[in-house]
Formats: sequence, C-alpha cells, structure tokens
Amino acid sequence: MNVVNLLVPERIRCGVHVTSKKRSLEVLSVLLAQTEGEPTDRTIFEHLIGRERLGSTGLGKGVALPHARVDGIKETRGALIRLGQPVDFDAIDKQPVDLLFALIVPKHFTDEHLRVLAALAELFSDHAFCERLRSSQSVEEMYQHIMRWQADSPGS
Amino acid sequence: MAYTDQIVFLAGFLLTLSILASIPAERSGVPVLVIFLVLGMLAGEQGLGGVQFEDVATAHLLGTMALAVILFDGGLHTPLSSFRTGLGPGLSLATAGVVATAIITAGCVVLLYGDPWLNSLLLVSIISSTDAAAVFYLLRARGLELHPRVRNTLEIESGVNDPIAIFLTVVLIEWVLQQHQATPAGLLVSLGQQLIGGAALGGAGGALLTWVVNRLPLPASLYPLLALSGGLLIYGMSAYIGGSGFLAAYLAGLILGNRARLARRSIQRFHDGIAWLCQIGLFLMLGLLVTPSDLLQVAPKALLVVGAIIVLGRPLAVALCLLPFRFPWRQVVFISWVGIRGAVPIVLSLFPLLAGVPGAVVDFNLVFFIVLISLLLQGWTVAPVARWLSLQLPRLHPDARWIDLGIPSDHELVICELPPQCPALNAPLGALQPPYGVQLLALVRQGCSVPVTPQRALQARDLLYLLVPSADSSVQERFDHWLDEMGAQQPESQRRFYGEFTIGALSPMADFAAIYLSKPIIDAQPDETIGDYLNRRLHNKASEGDLVEVGNVMLVVREMDQRQIVKVGVKLPRPPAS
Repeated sequence: MNVVNLLVPERIRCGVHVTSKKRSLEVLSVLLAQTEGEPTDRTIFEHLIGRERLGSTGLGKGVALPHARVDGIKETRGALIRLGQPVDFDAIDKQPVDLLFALIVPKHFTDEHLRVLAALAELFSDHAFCERLRSSQSVEEMYQHIMRWQADSPGS
Repeated sequence: MAYTDQIVFLAGFLLTLSILASIPAERSGVPVLVIFLVLGMLAGEQGLGGVQFEDVATAHLLGTMALAVILFDGGLHTPLSSFRTGLGPGLSLATAGVVATAIITAGCVVLLYGDPWLNSLLLVSIISSTDAAAVFYLLRARGLELHPRVRNTLEIESGVNDPIAIFLTVVLIEWVLQQHQATPAGLLVSLGQQLIGGAALGGAGGALLTWVVNRLPLPASLYPLLALSGGLLIYGMSAYIGGSGFLAAYLAGLILGNRARLARRSIQRFHDGIAWLCQIGLFLMLGLLVTPSDLLQVAPKALLVVGAIIVLGRPLAVALCLLPFRFPWRQVVFISWVGIRGAVPIVLSLFPLLAGVPGAVVDFNLVFFIVLISLLLQGWTVAPVARWLSLQLPRLHPDARWIDLGIPSDHELVICELPPQCPALNAPLGALQPPYGVQLLALVRQGCSVPVTPQRALQARDLLYLLVPSADSSVQERFDHWLDEMGAQQPESQRRFYGEFTIGALSPMADFAAIYLSKPIIDAQPDETIGDYLNRRLHNKASEGDLVEVGNVMLVVREMDQRQIVKVGVKLPRPPAS
C-alpha cells in the first residue's frame, strides 16, 4: 500500500478551522472533488456522511478516517486535514478529533480499498506519527512526515 | 498435649507457606493449585516434613466437605444471567459429555494396555469430571477476560458434572466387586434419584436459606456463617436421602448468591476466603496422602491416559455434545482444552480404596499423577490458548468492591478504581454516564475526597463511590457492563480484537454492504438490520466477541444489552505484508 500515491500536497490542509463534524466532512469533500467530469463535492459529502450514520469513523485518540465508495470517480483518493480546534466526532472513546484522513474509492473496486483502510488505521494508530502531524506547521511538513513514514515502513 | 500443639503448629505453618507461595506462583503463571499439592508432598513422609498421613477415611471425609464448600461457593458467584447462554451446552457437557469422555478414553486404555473394560472404565470415570475449583479459579483469575458464552459453559459444566462422575464411579465399583445385581432400568432410576433429589433439595433448600437470610435479624457477621452452615446442611440432607449432595450445594449457592438481598456481598466475600481455605487444605492433604516415590512407577501409564483424554476423549466428547449448539470451532477447541482435572478425581479415587477394590492403590497414584499433569499442562496454558484462539476480550475488569449496606435499603455501595490507560481518563465526570438508577456519590483522589462536579477530569487511580440498586438484576447487569467499558484497554488491543471501526447494530445491513462488500450477501434479507443479520448467523445465541465473516470483512459483536446486539466491530482484512 502506498499512502503517497493516495495523497498530494494539494489535498492536505493544516490548521483548518471548523466547528462541527459536518463542516469537517464538507472541507474534506471539497478537497476530494477536484477533477472535472466526476461527482461533485456534494455527492462525496453525502457518501461520507452516509457512512457516519452507520457509526462514527473516529478511531480514538483524536483521529478519524471517514471513507466511502463513490460511483464515477476514477481512482482511489485521499485527503488529510488537521483542525485548529478539535471537534466532537462521536468517536468510540468520546474524545474530540483533530486529525482526519478521508478516503474515497471507485464503486467497482472490490476489496483493495479494505486493505488500504486497514493500513491507514494501522498508520494512524501510531501515536508518534500522529504527534508529528499535529506539531507540523505547514502542509509541506505534513506531506514530508507521510513520505518519511512511507520510506521507513518495511515492505512498502 | 505436645502432639496437639505440633499439629496446630504444622497446620498454621503449611497454610501460611501456601498463602505466601501463591504470590510468586501467580506471577510466574504456575497454577497455584499445583503449588499446594507439591507443598503437601514436601511436608509428607518422603519430603522434608516427614509427616505420616495414611488415613484414607479422614482424607475422604475432609475432602468431601471441602468439595461441598467449593461448589457452594462456585454457585454463589455464578450470576443467573450466565445461564442464558451457558445452560444448554453446560448441561450437555456435564451429562452426556462425561459419559462420552469416559467411554472413548476407556476404549483407548483397553486398546493400548489390554486392561479389562470394567477396570478401565472405573479408572476413566474417576477422572471424567472437570474440576470446579480449578476452572472457577483459572477463568476468574485476573487478566483473563474470556468470551462470555465459553466461560459460562465451562463454569456450569464444572459445577454440575461431578454428580455424574461420582455416580459412574460408585456404580462401577459395585460392578467390579460383583455386588451389582441391578438392571439397566435400576441404574437409570438410581441416576434419576441422584439428579432429581439433588436438584429438588438444592432448589428448595436454597430458596429457604435465602428466605431465612433475608428475614432473620442477625448480627452482620453471622449471615455468612448461616449461609455456610445452610450449604453444608443442604449437602448433607441431599446426600442422606440418596440425592447428589454436590449438585444440591451448587444449586443452593446459585439461588442464595442471586436472590439474597441483605448480606449478599459479605456472604460472597466470606465464602471466597473459605473456598480458598478449602482448596489449600484439600490439595495440601492430598499431597500429604500420596507417596511420591510410588508415582514414578505409574508415570508411563499416567502420561498415556492423560494423552488419551486430552487428545481424543475430551475433544471428541465436546465436539459431539456441542454439535446441537453450533459453537464455532475455536470455541470447541478451547472448551476441549480446558478439561482441567482437579481435586474431585483424587477424592473419587479414594472411593475404591475405601471399598477395597483390588488394585485401588495403583489407581490412586495413577489418578494423582494424571491430575498433576493436567493441572500443570492445562492450567499453565489456559490464558495463552485463549489468546491464540482470540477468545480473550481486550479489557480488564476494573477493581470493584461491592459492599452491602447492612440495612434493607435495596442498594449496594460499589467502590471502583480507575485503571491506568482506561478510555475514561481525562474525560470529564459528566461524560461517565453510569446506567440509569446508579448514583455517583463521591470521588476520592490520593486519599482525599474531591467534590463531584460534571467538569472535573478523571485521573488514573481515582476511586469512584457509586450507589447501585440491588433489587433489579438488569440494572446490575448494565452496571457490570459499564464497568467493563471503563476497563477497556488501550485502543491498540481493542482494534486488534474488535476491528478498526464500530457501527451501530440498528443500521441497515444494505448500507453496510454498499460500503464494505463488493458482492451482494447471498443470505441477506431485505430491510434487515446488522443486528438481525448477526443474530440469524449466530442462531440467536450472540455473545460478546462472536465473529461472523461477511465477504472479506469480519463482524465482531462488540456490545450487548441483555439479548440485544448494540454495537458491532468491523474488522478489515490485514494489510498485505509487502
């Protein structure tokens, strides 16, 4: 799994100010919907919020991984935001969330995205890694941390 | 006089040593019951103590009494809610399972050793029951939070199967001595008498005892003693009229432990101590009774019988008896493995000695050796095997002390300590949300009482004082569950066990499938919720920690309220290694 391939600096935001879970998902949807001829950010948002209705994608310790399968997009794509102020996300540990990685996957993809999600959950459960992202001052710095993790992690 | 003093000194010395020895034993994982047994052997005729103890009749008397108390205590600590999932399979294992284990293992002994069928059956019947003391102890030891249905099944089995083993042993002894003229019908009548007599007296006696405890005004310290004497009385009465005393004692304890309203917690705490005393005394005494050098002669045969029962007898019998209950294979494997033998077989092996069966001494040593190996091998490995089969839930029950208030107020006081690393840490008190009806009275931090305000953040090692209604068992169950949640371990091990995400069981299965599955679910029904689907796949016997595979995703039952599934974990396939 290659997180770098999912992510470009244009889809990372640092120190975003939002006041609710819903707003944070809207920001992520806008970042994810950049290509012409693909579903709009509204559609992506509906899919993400639909997933949250099943149960929060908050992993605990301030991290959330919203995700959805969306018809019409061409490739698996991620977006990462760090919030200036943590928002309540109904996470399992009831702690507010300030790191969010959203993943959208083409509808026709079978099981690959499950493995991608599992790998992301693994990555974001690394406390030191999350702290590095939290202490980053810029998008570039956040991107560097992810690249570095990618290079350091064995077997990828 | 000098002799009496010596005995008192010796008893005190051995007890103290046993209690102290249990600390390093617990740390190193050596089953503590083995330590008692070995200490007994060390004190015995060939050990350092040089104590001569060959009085089989006394050993039998004391052993039986200790077993009665241990079973009574086991009943006292079994919540009735555990019968919801464990009764059927537990009873099946305790009855048919015991017989099947005996027949299969005896077959192996006959084939391998060419012993006569009758003698082999007698030997195997003696060791056919699992040990309540060992099972209760190992399953409740700190650090092992087992899958609930598996634990309930094992506990109920071990509480109920002794009467069957005792019955088999007694009948076979009569047969071996050729005193038996009874027909198969007569046997069945006799077995029925044991079971029905024991159940009836245990039920009625337990209800009566509970009524007396709830009504009689007594000094607080006398309630536990009243309970203990009542338990012994019920055992004795049942055994006297030909019923099973052990079954009666277990049932009476079960009723008292669930229905007593006045002094339940002090009765339970007292019996904890008494049951420990009985276990230590029992195993020490049996260690004293055996002649260690005789064990070597029977070692090869003992190893073989243990092998036969662990590898063939128990697994086959368990698989057979659990067939109607459709347990997943992991649970069947675990239940097969936890067929721990304990004091019951050793006490039972005294029966043939007392009855004068030829070769009984050999059998006693053989049984002793078998139990020693079983305790060591299985006792040592219960926790790792549970982990390996992922039947261990990732949490630690927080230390909670239940205190009855001693006045008929229908409330109990619970003091619990917040474990380090629990998810509630740093959360404000207002977010704790104990179940409806439960009141948070006080918060004690480092020995000082701190005002209870909704904003106050919790810290590790904080003591919570809670008032819990005692009359409503569903509130207690919810409260227990709430405690479990507090003791949940760090997200890491939670994620390993329950999966990456948690979803509500009331969501439509179709919504779940749209996100996680690439193919439609063949066995899904329209408009089904995730909870309904899981219940159907689990044959309406869902229990926390149950796994159901859907496509490439695993659904894990994460939280239950009574019979309802509330939360479900989603476990994704492992990321590729390369």
